[in-house]
Amino acid sequence: MKNTIKVERARKNWTQEDLAREIGISRQSVNSIETGKFVPSTVLALKMAKVFGVDVELIFQLEDQD
Amino acid sequence: MEQSKKIANRNSLIFALIYGATYLPAVWLLKYRVFGQPISIIIALVPVITFSIFIFKLIKAFSVMDEVKQRAQLEAVVIGFSLTAMLVMTLFLLSLCDISNPGWFGYANLLCFCWLFYFVGWFLSKKKYGV
Repeated sequence: MKNTIKVERARKNWTQEDLAREIGISRQSVNSIETGKFVPSTVLALKMAKVFGVDVELIFQLEDQD
Repeated sequence: MEQSKKIANRNSLIFALIYGATYLPAVWLLKYRVFGQPISIIIALVPVITFSIFIFKLIKAFSVMDEVKQRAQLEAVVIGFSLTAMLVMTLFLLSLCDISNPGWFGYANLLCFCWLFYFVGWFLSKKKYGV
């Protein structure tokens, strides 16, 4: 699973800390999701999409091996 | 939400310290002082009660963690439990071969190994998820 969290953050000019505060998780957890170490739940993915104002499919995309 | 996480974490830490502060003196008293059996049982139960409260608070702290930290904790517990079960099984099998060393692998030591394995698991899962 790949994601465009970094791109969306840059678009909003947000740090990981800002995003973490917006969706109610820790900065380390945002980093873990952003770097692909952890795949978030549907709820958390939808929360991210909501705060970025985009569709969830735009942030998270399946890769060939998924 | 952030405030409740901090309170839950602080409570679990406080009760961990209270547990430690009751467990070590209880062990010392039961080992080096002679009491009647009813008093000994009461002394032995005090750390059990504080440990129960600590575990309750710890579970509460887990429940307010975000999902990445919950996953890291789950993996830490799985690793800790598996390694402890493996050690106990190994000791049991060795005892069937008349090989045992209560000096290193008594009940008290097993408790220490159990916590040690949990912290090993915690270290590994923290490293894996970067939390």
